[in-house]
Amino acid sequence: MSEKLKINFWRLAILVVGVGAWEWLTGIKAVSKIPGLYFIDPFFISRPSKIVERFFYLNSDEVRLTLWQMLLSTVESTIIGFLVGVSTGFAAGLVLGRNDRLARIFEPYIIAFNSLPRIALVPLVTMIFGFGLLAKVVLAWLIVFFIVFFNTFQGARGVDPDLIHSARFLGATEGQIMRTVIIPSALAWTFASLTPSISFALIGVVIGEFIGGESGGGIGYLIIASLGTLNSADMMVALIVLAITGIVMALGIKQVEMRLLRWRPEYQQR
Amino acid sequence: MPRLRIQIRDLSKTFREGGREVPAVSRVSLDILDKEFVALVGPSGCGKSTILNMIGGLIAPSAGQMLIDGAPVRDVPRQVGYVFQKDTVFPWRTVTRNIALGLEYRGVTGPEQGRRVGEAIRLAGLAGFEEAFPATLSGGMRQRVALMRTLIVEPEILLMDEPFGALDTHTKLNLHAELLALWEAKHQTVVFVTHDLSEAITLADRIVVLTRRPGRVKMIHEVKLPRPRDVIKLRESDEYAQQYSQIWHVLGEEFAGHAV
Repeated sequence: MSEKLKINFWRLAILVVGVGAWEWLTGIKAVSKIPGLYFIDPFFISRPSKIVERFFYLNSDEVRLTLWQMLLSTVESTIIGFLVGVSTGFAAGLVLGRNDRLARIFEPYIIAFNSLPRIALVPLVTMIFGFGLLAKVVLAWLIVFFIVFFNTFQGARGVDPDLIHSARFLGATEGQIMRTVIIPSALAWTFASLTPSISFALIGVVIGEFIGGESGGGIGYLIIASLGTLNSADMMVALIVLAITGIVMALGIKQVEMRLLRWRPEYQQR
Repeated sequence: MPRLRIQIRDLSKTFREGGREVPAVSRVSLDILDKEFVALVGPSGCGKSTILNMIGGLIAPSAGQMLIDGAPVRDVPRQVGYVFQKDTVFPWRTVTRNIALGLEYRGVTGPEQGRRVGEAIRLAGLAGFEEAFPATLSGGMRQRVALMRTLIVEPEILLMDEPFGALDTHTKLNLHAELLALWEAKHQTVVFVTHDLSEAITLADRIVVLTRRPGRVKMIHEVKLPRPRDVIKLRESDEYAQQYSQIWHVLGEEFAGHAV
């Protein structure tokens, strides 16, 4: 058996045993015949069979808001927040990274704002932007902006001055230096921040959905609604869907990154 | 009499290092003629790169004058090309797109750009590596890209700061031969900084020996070796050995006195 096959075998084995044990242990009684005394109570962690059942139920037309619609709402807010955060963070990082005076003027404000736990801003954002899509996007943006900003800022500062000089000797104007030297140099740093950014955007959106209620929709709403009805099966459905969404989005970003950074030694021969 | 290209008059440069004034170059005067190949040699830290950077307008003199074609150097002069010691090939551009940079900046596009870049790639022996990224190339190939990228915009003055310093002897000799062939074709005015005396004798018409820091002109030596030169055979010749020992005698004093 090849190494890769072995690893995949063990991965699958852990999944099967884990899910099997979950199903089995939540199905047997600790003391027979006494109702409610399970070995492990499915009330708290549900059971795989129940989760699958709820998964299909939540996707059926018996519910007002299907799981699919909630997922789309979460993904939409995440992607918009991510894109807005990346573009504004990149622009700000580039401007301050290439302008020492401006960077020094803004430094205390940026540090102060960045030290603030973003979660503390959730109620304020809700007050200003309401419970809908906009509030979720703003929350994602607030987190992503700073991650991308700090990376781009570093990148724009760290551009090798000899690369700029050589461009100038080749006849580049200031605009051409920006386009052909500074932006590509800084981008390498920006890209490094994209994978964490998409994960953090998702965090921002889910928090927004906790507060946002039904009008905001989304998977975060499903989680909070399940808490209200003490429905652990629905909550598990939401968590599993969120995990898969996070993985898919991070892998997508990784693909983009590998394409755009294919000139880097660590991305070669792959 | 060929015309004067670069005039250096009583040039001095002092750097400030933590409140201390550190003189790097002290009252250097030198005239460089059109189409001349001049090498600046001296112990490390003697200010030879500083002089080169002042010719290229990257740093301003503290005192004295630096004239190109009679005009004081401010900013980066149009007619100057510069090959750095450090690898300055853009890592995110392929060989072709690196060499095309200067043409791109000047708005030369389309088939004209393609033709000139293709020609440069052929001249540099980089055929087959057109679409390669610098990370996959050897140090010698990257320096070839840097050289062709500079030459493609046809600078009249070429400044080279130990461009082959990081290469092994074999690669270095190959690049010497290639540089000489390219120079024979266009006869740019070249100022070449190196600490390698054999390199200076192989390439230059005149060798300017600088003293230890702060750099002053210690000696100017005319290299009386016929052109075109064969970089390999040259080193076996008696004339080469003779010139080498003459300059080495003077240069050696500077190396010997260098506190290590």
